[in-house]
Amino acid sequence: MKTSRLTFGLVGSAFMASLALAPIAAAADGPLRGNVRVVIGSTSTGGDTYQNASIVVDALSKKLDLNMKVDAVGFSSAYRALDRDPRGNTLMIFHDQSYLGHLYGVEGYKDPFTNYTVGPTIAINPGNAYLVPKDSPYQSLDDIIKAAGEGKTIRVAIQPGGVSEIGYTALKNAIRIEHPGAEDNLVAVNTGSQSDKNQLLFDDQADLINGSVQANEQYTRLPESDQKAMRFIWLTATSETLQQAPENGLGQTDRATLLEYAEPNVKVTMGGDKNFAFDKEFFFLYNKKMNPAIIKQIDDTLEEIYAEGAIQKVQKKSFFIPDFKPSSKAQSHLKEKADRYETIIESINK
Amino acid sequence: MMDVLSSLDITFFLLTALGALVGIIFGAIPGMTATMAVAVCLPLTYALGLEHGLALLLGLYVGGISGGMVPAVLLNIPGTPSSITTTFDGYPMAQRGEGERALRICIVASLVGGLISAVVLFWFAPMLAEFSIKFSYVEKFLIILLALSVIASMSSNMLVGLFSGAIGIWLSLIGTYSLSDGGNGKTRLMFDFMEPYLFEGFSLLPVLIGIFGISTVLIEAERGISGGLKGTNVEVSKEKRFSLSVFKGGITNLVRSSFIGTFVGMLPGVGGSAASVLAYTQEKNLSRDSSQMGKGAPQGLIASESSNNALTGGALIPLLSLGIPGDSTTAVLIGAFTLQGIQVGPLFIPENQDTWYVMMAALVFANFVMFFLMFYAIKHIAKVVLVPKYILFPIIVMMCVIGAYAINYGIMFDVWTLLIFGIIGYIIQKIGLEVAPLIIGFILGGSAEVYFVKSLESFGTYSIFFTKSPIAVVLWGLIAASIALSAFIGFKSRKRGMRNVS
Repeated sequence: MKTSRLTFGLVGSAFMASLALAPIAAAADGPLRGNVRVVIGSTSTGGDTYQNASIVVDALSKKLDLNMKVDAVGFSSAYRALDRDPRGNTLMIFHDQSYLGHLYGVEGYKDPFTNYTVGPTIAINPGNAYLVPKDSPYQSLDDIIKAAGEGKTIRVAIQPGGVSEIGYTALKNAIRIEHPGAEDNLVAVNTGSQSDKNQLLFDDQADLINGSVQANEQYTRLPESDQKAMRFIWLTATSETLQQAPENGLGQTDRATLLEYAEPNVKVTMGGDKNFAFDKEFFFLYNKKMNPAIIKQIDDTLEEIYAEGAIQKVQKKSFFIPDFKPSSKAQSHLKEKADRYETIIESINK
Repeated sequence: MMDVLSSLDITFFLLTALGALVGIIFGAIPGMTATMAVAVCLPLTYALGLEHGLALLLGLYVGGISGGMVPAVLLNIPGTPSSITTTFDGYPMAQRGEGERALRICIVASLVGGLISAVVLFWFAPMLAEFSIKFSYVEKFLIILLALSVIASMSSNMLVGLFSGAIGIWLSLIGTYSLSDGGNGKTRLMFDFMEPYLFEGFSLLPVLIGIFGISTVLIEAERGISGGLKGTNVEVSKEKRFSLSVFKGGITNLVRSSFIGTFVGMLPGVGGSAASVLAYTQEKNLSRDSSQMGKGAPQGLIASESSNNALTGGALIPLLSLGIPGDSTTAVLIGAFTLQGIQVGPLFIPENQDTWYVMMAALVFANFVMFFLMFYAIKHIAKVVLVPKYILFPIIVMMCVIGAYAINYGIMFDVWTLLIFGIIGYIIQKIGLEVAPLIIGFILGGSAEVYFVKSLESFGTYSIFFTKSPIAVVLWGLIAASIALSAFIGFKSRKRGMRNVS
């Protein structure tokens, strides 16, 4: 009796163990194996980084038959987690903030091009925007540049040291070019979350705030009499990128309306006939010592996923523009982009 | 609305109930929080769809906030930061053998708090969201200051209490002045070699669990195991059994605390712990007899638990009416909408009526599930204190370590924080400093700094704190009254003490 119970127990345990190990065994064909943790540079699960990472990681996890999970740990913890793991079981997804933070000299941001391996790009958020109160006297960005040139102080609510600041820097640079010496009239009001930036606008403590189409579109549909009503004045994305957004845009603001707020309709000069535009791109970052075979495996799998076409629909539904570039192409593209913005940041700091 | 409610299937209710159950377990394990429970289950919304996903997540939210009361009462460890004031009266009651009674008081108070906040959310969300945007940096700073004024009334020796509170605030400022708070991203109050560990400062939960849980274990260990082995000290006498009569005379406290919880919940960035601290302070200052508070008074539990559960509805007000999460858990919850490509902003409720009713149904149902699950299971849960301490304490330490390691998804320094603050908690009790003011200072110090600095940056003058708005003037009145009442109560109790001595 005892023997049969023992046998039954052992067989049962072996069966359970085989069930538990089955997915791992199936997934062990490629160099990426076991559980994979994808850390992101933001702590928010409501933001665009988490959203983009979730869409791509969900597709990768199904395709590779691996257990993959996105953790919103923030840039500092994410870099530390990535530094600790050269095996490939920790990957990171972040956006242009990774090199902009370094260019702005923010503590904790190392140069991603020398300290990590830049992986494939996955998507663009074309929604990085600047807004004014609906009853603002400024009807366009030109009005703002002109007002600053005439000596009026313009307060801009941004989160310092990254994507939120790059538009502010470009605007300051444009004022410097068009009205030399007047650039100090554009003043940054350093703040944190989107809610804080909105609040500054409600309190009349800022004339212009950084926001996004996703977070602020509903505010732009409120009546002018509402204290919370806002108006888009600038979308930093390139018009080529915005053209790829769904025709009906987001909420009740269609693509054609959004295009009115982007270049070439809105001009932020960088000198000569060059205008500033900025696409916020999301991409993978890897531990420098990670097996190159894993980089290739992720590149190839993503290539397959994007070729199938289903992921693009999910991304576009959330107002993101699909943007897959394999690692090598992404590295040169992002490095060139970083060099371009470094020039703007340097010129304003001179 | 009835159409939407009648279309809800059994899976919806099962998922809400499952969420509440798992949430209670998460909340009851030190180091695991409602926020973590919601974050872990967030990706499931892909598979479940929005309505079923929200049912699960709202169940987790309500359960997670409520579950924090269990270790707070039985083990003196706040399961969630907002249950810190529950330890003040819950643990002394548990030590007197009234753990089960204390927990039942907490459960009823939680249910009332949760339901009041749900009613407020349903009827007044857009109107209150309008009101909440009247609170700028200045008013938010004054709310935190009001909550900090509890330090004065909570201390047995006011000067020692204030000193302990100041140490708590100082500890909260270690780390960077974060860019995400609009700071400069620079570290302070540390040496360079500490930067890799303390870049983001000490994590709240490991500090809380260490200073309450580990230090309690150390103090009990010092006493030796002979005293508490038999568990006879937890036998409950008949007159100490739970009865609803305990709420007689406490209805005002219950309703006031529920409204305080809802109100603080709807102010983004003020934080859940401020709600229970504020409700506790108000009960201490306004009740006829608050002499027993902090020594095991049911009124303290009522204030703490009704307010912290009322946070749930309160924090959903700005989320659903402005797209701005009211607390850390709703900040994760917003992911459920974004993952489904749904915008949450000022037009969310009018444009998504069905989802709105579904959420209300899940919130109310989750509160009832939480009540029934806990009210009837508590008899068994309360027996945890009967477990011999030589078995219980190692398990508590193990759970604390696991919880601390897990809280930021696997940071070893959080475990060291837990142990360091366990020892600090032990030492400060030995040298006569006060733990509660220190921890309140630690919890509220960070936000106090941000709102103080941002107020000055925005308005450029100190006088703005007094002249910003009528709300600011009212808040100053409340702060002055709170401090005056604490001084008066302190003076009275000292006089009584002297009379007893003579």
